[in-house]
Amino acid sequence: MSTEPRKLLAVFAHPDDESFICGGTLAKYADSGVEITLVSATRGEMGRRMGNPPYLNRETMAAAREQELREACECLGVKHLHFFDIRDKTVEFADPDQLADRIAGFIREVNPDAILTFHEKWGGHPDHCAIGKATIEALARTGLAIALYFISFGDSLAYPEAYGYTQEEIARIDVSRYKKAKLAAFRAHRCQTEIDEWVWLPDRQAMSRFGDHEYFIKGNKEALKLGKADLF
Amino acid sequence: MNQINPLEVEDLLRTFTGEEIYVHSEATSYVFVRNFKMKLTQAFTAGEGPFRIALRFDEIGWLRMEALTHYELDAEGRLLLAGYDDRGRMNVALHLGKEPFAE
Repeated sequence: MSTEPRKLLAVFAHPDDESFICGGTLAKYADSGVEITLVSATRGEMGRRMGNPPYLNRETMAAAREQELREACECLGVKHLHFFDIRDKTVEFADPDQLADRIAGFIREVNPDAILTFHEKWGGHPDHCAIGKATIEALARTGLAIALYFISFGDSLAYPEAYGYTQEEIARIDVSRYKKAKLAAFRAHRCQTEIDEWVWLPDRQAMSRFGDHEYFIKGNKEALKLGKADLF
Repeated sequence: MNQINPLEVEDLLRTFTGEEIYVHSEATSYVFVRNFKMKLTQAFTAGEGPFRIALRFDEIGWLRMEALTHYELDAEGRLLLAGYDDRGRMNVALHLGKEPFAE
């Protein structure tokens, strides 16, 4: 057995994807000693929510959201953060070959045990789908046998049959003990969450909005070989 | 960002007329254009809040926006105008600078 800690690489599009979608899972694995690297393709600088009441404008947003993401990473225990400096809303127009190469470089450098990204069809936003597609291509280019997972929103995959998946193709992570960290990360993304009153209710009430599980689609045969309640 | 004072905004717009300027303009959910370079010939403001602004450029061009509520002359001398809704979401933006905006 190696004494190296397990490693997880997450390749997402915007600051807040990591917290809003799978913050409980990241906090849980970080707490168990997994070394997590997060790549955010953009700084979310074209977002519409500018604080409530608004205190940001288009030109100040990139720095503000970068800082918020750094704070969220601290809340979740994410150790390493990198940006691709692609403009928000333009990931799908970035050169796909170069983008895949950059991600492949990260995969080789980090050499993770598992990779999280967006599903290229069910990503829910053009930037999400584009970064997911590029990450799939990047992993293929490395030729490495690393478990690949696609993140999903809320409880939508509690009954995966509705989306054409079997239970065996889904990893269900129990995050019930990590809602506090997830809530702290939500609040770190202040300019995005000030508009959502529930986030700022007393902790217990706010945390009741979170489900006990986060769900991941197994994206390759390495992931399918693993159990249904763990990413490793 | 401050609530638009049309007289002050008109004064500020005037400092950009007759010059080659860079514009960032967006209707947030639908379109944005960044670092559009134009020779600004005239600028107009209208309305009693929210405000309308129109730019004449390169002899033949128009850029018109509405729903603007806030403005700021930032530390880099750029005129930033934006329209927010009552919960802090940006609907429109119109930024004028004498140097390109960060790509």
